[in-house]
Amino acid sequence: MFGALLDAERGGSFELRPEAPYDVERRYRPGTNVLETTFHTEGGAARVVDAMTVAGSGLVPFRELARRVDGLAGEVSFSWRVEARFGYADAGTRVERRLGVPVATSGAHALAVQYWNAGESATEEGAIAGTIHVRAGESAVIAVSIAHQEPLVFSSREEVEARIEATAGAWADWSSGRGYRGRWGDAVIRSALALKLLVHAPSGAVAAAATTSVPEELGGERNWDYRFCWVRDSAFTLGAFLGLGCGADARAYFWWLMQASQLTQPRLRVLYRLDGGARAPERTLPLRGYRDSRPVRIGNAAAAQLQLDTYGELLQTAWLYATSGYRIDNDIARRLAEMADLVCESWRHPDAGIWEVRSQPQHFTQSKMMCWVALDRAGDLAKRGVIPAGHAQRWLQEAESIQDFVETRCFSEEKRSYVRHAGSDELDASLLLGLLLSYGDPGSDRWAGTIEAVRRELQDGPFVRRYTGEDGLVGSEGAFLTCSFWLAEALARSGRVEDATRLMDQLVALANDVGLYAEEIEPATGAFLGNIPQGLSHLALISAALAVGEATAR
Amino acid sequence: MSVWGAIAGGFAGTLVLTTALRAGNELNLTRMDLPFLLGTAFTSDRTRAKALGYVLHFLVGFGFALIYYAIFLAIGHSGWWLGAIFGLLHGLFSGTALVDTLLPLIHPRMGTRSTAAPSVALLEPPGFLMLNYGAQTPLVSLVAHIAYGTLVGGFISLAS
Repeated sequence: MFGALLDAERGGSFELRPEAPYDVERRYRPGTNVLETTFHTEGGAARVVDAMTVAGSGLVPFRELARRVDGLAGEVSFSWRVEARFGYADAGTRVERRLGVPVATSGAHALAVQYWNAGESATEEGAIAGTIHVRAGESAVIAVSIAHQEPLVFSSREEVEARIEATAGAWADWSSGRGYRGRWGDAVIRSALALKLLVHAPSGAVAAAATTSVPEELGGERNWDYRFCWVRDSAFTLGAFLGLGCGADARAYFWWLMQASQLTQPRLRVLYRLDGGARAPERTLPLRGYRDSRPVRIGNAAAAQLQLDTYGELLQTAWLYATSGYRIDNDIARRLAEMADLVCESWRHPDAGIWEVRSQPQHFTQSKMMCWVALDRAGDLAKRGVIPAGHAQRWLQEAESIQDFVETRCFSEEKRSYVRHAGSDELDASLLLGLLLSYGDPGSDRWAGTIEAVRRELQDGPFVRRYTGEDGLVGSEGAFLTCSFWLAEALARSGRVEDATRLMDQLVALANDVGLYAEEIEPATGAFLGNIPQGLSHLALISAALAVGEATAR
Repeated sequence: MSVWGAIAGGFAGTLVLTTALRAGNELNLTRMDLPFLLGTAFTSDRTRAKALGYVLHFLVGFGFALIYYAIFLAIGHSGWWLGAIFGLLHGLFSGTALVDTLLPLIHPRMGTRSTAAPSVALLEPPGFLMLNYGAQTPLVSLVAHIAYGTLVGGFISLAS
């Protein structure tokens, strides 16, 4: 509906800006997801408060974006314009009025624009537009309410303003209940709040990012749709929820994950739709792309890839869940055991790896390590009586075979490091996940050598690239923020707490003005690349902050 | 003809009508949600409104089936084809007088054509033939009501 990020002309937007030249600063209200943007013009200053309101009691819109303009000094004039483009700008849109309120409709979707003290609106070329003049002490409100498969709900100004404050209060209450009190408190809480915005409330699924096709290389083809839930992220997601005392979110997420994966069990898809569906066919849209970066994709073809690491991450998730005192029922326990059996049969196959390369499948080292993690955690869960132990002996035997494979074929004596895939001399920062998920002894020479190799070949300042070698795509990409946080966590877990703390300090300073991270960063300019906000970046930040805190306490 | 046939037809017909309207939602044809409209007349809680609305919708479905039955008795004819014609008239009546004119007058949470600047939350009114809920709404509604009438007429004549 609002896709101007991907096509400024056709994409649709909700613009609200001063008519005169201005300086601007932004912040989230502390501990909330309510955004405050303060504009300073020659004539005065005004603050815009933005909230995706949380539904309270009473008759409320299906979804609502509320924007209040508060005059702070002098007088400021704003122009506003709502241009709704349904169906990724491909569906016909009608603009009409109901009860005097301008509405835009398309099929089973509709949007109403209510405004108070915001001038008279005009409809022009499918857009709804107006002007606001606020003096110090005055305020104006614009509320965009959405209806999907139902009639619109029109609210009063008092109701909208009450919902803005109730939303801020609800977020502040939630934040105050989080458990982290360490060195990077603001960054951790901001990351947790960003994750909450990525939770699909009806199901408990967590989207990998809020956007699609924001490019990893400006003008390039590395533009992907991240509005899905990746099994790859599951262990970090559950670990973050548990580590921050979000028990309800942890339960909802785990049950969603097990419900979604039931459709394909014992096999796992790489990713699932937020409603739990397994299909995510990829197609391109006729949009201009973010700064001409095409194609713009929706759906994700990685869904059908074989990525063996997912089994390790899911069994680690189940292990975290069970060892934190939550109950796993008999049906899920049986399915987890079947997954372990499947790993025994499939770990010898090459796969696309955690980075979803579109080149030939390989025996990726990280995938093998995660297969070992899967069987190790399954064995432990069996020992604890959580899952059936009938095949536990086989799981442990196969885990030993995987370890033999990794230690003999995936380690370079020359580099003194594990390598990207069997027989190669390329490096991959995702190898550090082996250390993070307890493959081998974190204090071993092999892990020390691998950390050094990653720092030597992939690190540049606080920035870490994902891998060396090819991936089947044209062009290059920036540094991968998640990998930087993994390196910080690996340093902490291997006893190098000072190095980890120094790196974390640098990484926390890289967030944007409101504390958010994209997927990647361009080392030369510090510009963000890729989808934003990126859940995995924030998950890795939380995990690293918790790990450094634990290591410091030891 | 039997009243039990009317009740059975009312149940089957409302089931199909409700399903057809939901299918219309899923096919992106309409925003009409009759259970939501009915339920919000009694509660402002979304979830309760939808649950209550489904119950009310079935009761209304039974009520209309009994009206069909009474008319069939009065004219001495029944059958699926006559039910289909009744369904068509019923659909037109619903989209014009019933939902467009009467419902906004008695619904405490629905705006009317003369409402402006609400002081409490109000639902979007349906408009003539419920066109406010999408250009395809009259078509979806008529097809669903014809299916309802066909089933009611068929069940009543089967129970003869």
